[in-house]
Amino acid sequence: MQTTESRAGHTPLLEARGLSKDYGDTRALDSLDLAIAPGEVYCLLGPNGAGKTTTINLFLGFVVPSGGQALVSGLDVSTHDRETKQQLAYIPEQVMLYRNLSGLENLEYFAALGGRGSLGRERLADILVKAGLERDAVGRRVSDYSKGMRQKVGIAIAMAKEAAVLLLDEPTSGLDPKASNEFSALVERLRERGVAVLMATHDLFRAKDTGTRVGIMRYGRLVTELSTDEIGHADLERIYLEHMHD
Amino acid sequence: MAARTVLRNEWRLLMADRALRIVLGLFAVLLLYALANGVVWLRFQERIVETVQTGNAERASAIEQELAAIANGAEPASRFSDPRDPYVLGGGRGTHTAVLTPGPLTALAVGQSDLLPYYYDVNIYTNESSFQQNGEVENPLNLMVGRFDLAFVVIYLLPLLVLALGYNVLSEEREQGTLALTLSQPVSARGVVVAKLAFRALLVVGMVLAASLLGTLVTGGFGSPGRVLLWCAAVVIYALFWFVLAAWVNSLRRSSAWNATVLVGAWLVLVVVLPATINIASGLLHPLPSRVQMVTAQREASNDAVNRRSELLARYLEDHPEMAEGVVADVTFSGALAWAATDAVNRRLEEVTGEHDARRAEQIALVRRYRFLSPALLAQEVLVDAAGTGDARYAGFQSQVRAFAERWRGFFVPAILAGEQMDASVLPDLPRFSLADEGSGDVARRAAVPLAVLGGLLVLVGAAAGAGLGRVRGAD
Repeated sequence: MQTTESRAGHTPLLEARGLSKDYGDTRALDSLDLAIAPGEVYCLLGPNGAGKTTTINLFLGFVVPSGGQALVSGLDVSTHDRETKQQLAYIPEQVMLYRNLSGLENLEYFAALGGRGSLGRERLADILVKAGLERDAVGRRVSDYSKGMRQKVGIAIAMAKEAAVLLLDEPTSGLDPKASNEFSALVERLRERGVAVLMATHDLFRAKDTGTRVGIMRYGRLVTELSTDEIGHADLERIYLEHMHD
Repeated sequence: MAARTVLRNEWRLLMADRALRIVLGLFAVLLLYALANGVVWLRFQERIVETVQTGNAERASAIEQELAAIANGAEPASRFSDPRDPYVLGGGRGTHTAVLTPGPLTALAVGQSDLLPYYYDVNIYTNESSFQQNGEVENPLNLMVGRFDLAFVVIYLLPLLVLALGYNVLSEEREQGTLALTLSQPVSARGVVVAKLAFRALLVVGMVLAASLLGTLVTGGFGSPGRVLLWCAAVVIYALFWFVLAAWVNSLRRSSAWNATVLVGAWLVLVVVLPATINIASGLLHPLPSRVQMVTAQREASNDAVNRRSELLARYLEDHPEMAEGVVADVTFSGALAWAATDAVNRRLEEVTGEHDARRAEQIALVRRYRFLSPALLAQEVLVDAAGTGDARYAGFQSQVRAFAERWRGFFVPAILAGEQMDASVLPDLPRFSLADEGSGDVARRAAVPLAVLGGLLVLVGAAAGAGLGRVRGAD
């Protein structure tokens, strides 16, 4: 299988090759080429309908591509559904859990589904605490949790899975600034461990702060790609708005 | 691994859901009530059978004692109850009651045992009206709606519970948002749904089978392991049919409310409307003759026969020349005349009941032809057949009783016509009714077709559900 070298010089963990998706006559994603290496946080920016969520859904195998390939560790998602999902962790905009179960029970379930059923309850409780959940909240029913707490359980699920790739779909949407900062810190820790992160977001500040690269999408196309080391917050906002006004 | 994980999670969800626990508890209570109802009926039937058999023995003993006394010079108590008279010995006084013992699993499915007679008093007067008077003259489908027994719970209530547990097995995951997180793990929607439904199926089917086996244990039904297996197979296949139907509807990726509406509609059509429609159609297409008409015909025949006794005796001897030699020359002999009248009545009745039987056979044929439209009818057929309370066992019993009545008449009528007297020496030679009951193999052969069709429906709907679930992805 042919692989592409990412900018960081590593074999990419996440790669899109001419990836396209049509919904009827509407092209939601148009020939996306993308490569994300271990330890990279790639932020996809763009307005609603730009193709950010579609990209993530294609990597998850939630939708079937109309063209091109979505690869995880060099494996095509379309033909290696289970193998690629073994390596992925996904945190949606709203982490929805089983409301009648505790955070720990939810983590036990999803960790076991992800192939980490051997982790004991104590270890899983520690992971929840590391993900930012208060220890006394670990055994409480999720129906009592705030959105931020549920997001932390989502992070814990990803941490327990020890996934090589993290897909985040507007994960800080609706979180208060403190929770957003905590979330960014967690993503940073995962990045340092070599996890490749693809994050779809509307938050330019968070993208600049957390990401190593930023891609701006519009009408299903990746219109520009920037390294966050080379630009400031104001530059990113200006470039983004320029593309939106075209 | 994934299946075990889902099963454990389902158990936790069940434990955390109070409403679901209450529903399952209620179902358990209904199962026990139905079982108790069946056991009460079985005990009642056993008491009746015992009473009838005791009556047989007591009558035989009383006759034997009186014949012995007469042989020793005593006078009969009455000329009209003299046991030496074949008309008396073969008639009401010497009546032998033919009994159908309760089916091995009657406590589980009362079936038709509370509607069809399970014993007949057989004597020389036994004729077609004996069967009609005790028999069900309504549509055969009416016979299928019986007491609140386990079969009723399985056929009517089990699907509702299955649907309550399965209507949202996938749609709820999507609606509460857990589907995306679940399917981002290395599992398929098909695998998750199968595991979730397997848990519910284990729970529901386990409860029904436990109640069935408890009932079998309490009533000694394990003497017929083949029937028990057949019962269990029918319960499992029928329950699984409803589970896969729920899976299929879920695979259509609609809302929980839509699923519930469609599944309740399916229950209504398959369990209530179709059987009722077949019932009504069989009654309309093949109406049974009026019962009043039958009774009137019987009375007319009887009156006519009494008025023309002498003529009838001559006709009887024409029809049965082999009897002519034995008949005393005096045609005023009362026994021979009376028998000729009885025989004439029987013949007239056969004409009337023959039409009734033909119509009923047509109704049954129509029901049997269209029972494949309803899984409920198929399952019901197998359950009552396995229990030994289905119409086939009763038909077999009735047919054997008819043959026995024929033998009984064959034993006494020549003596009646010859004006012979009987004594105690004939008692050991009196015909005895001995039921040749059907074996498990016979039942299994009959059940093979409905079970196979039910299994076929299960596979068909299961395949559609599997294909539909294979298309389910996290972004639905």
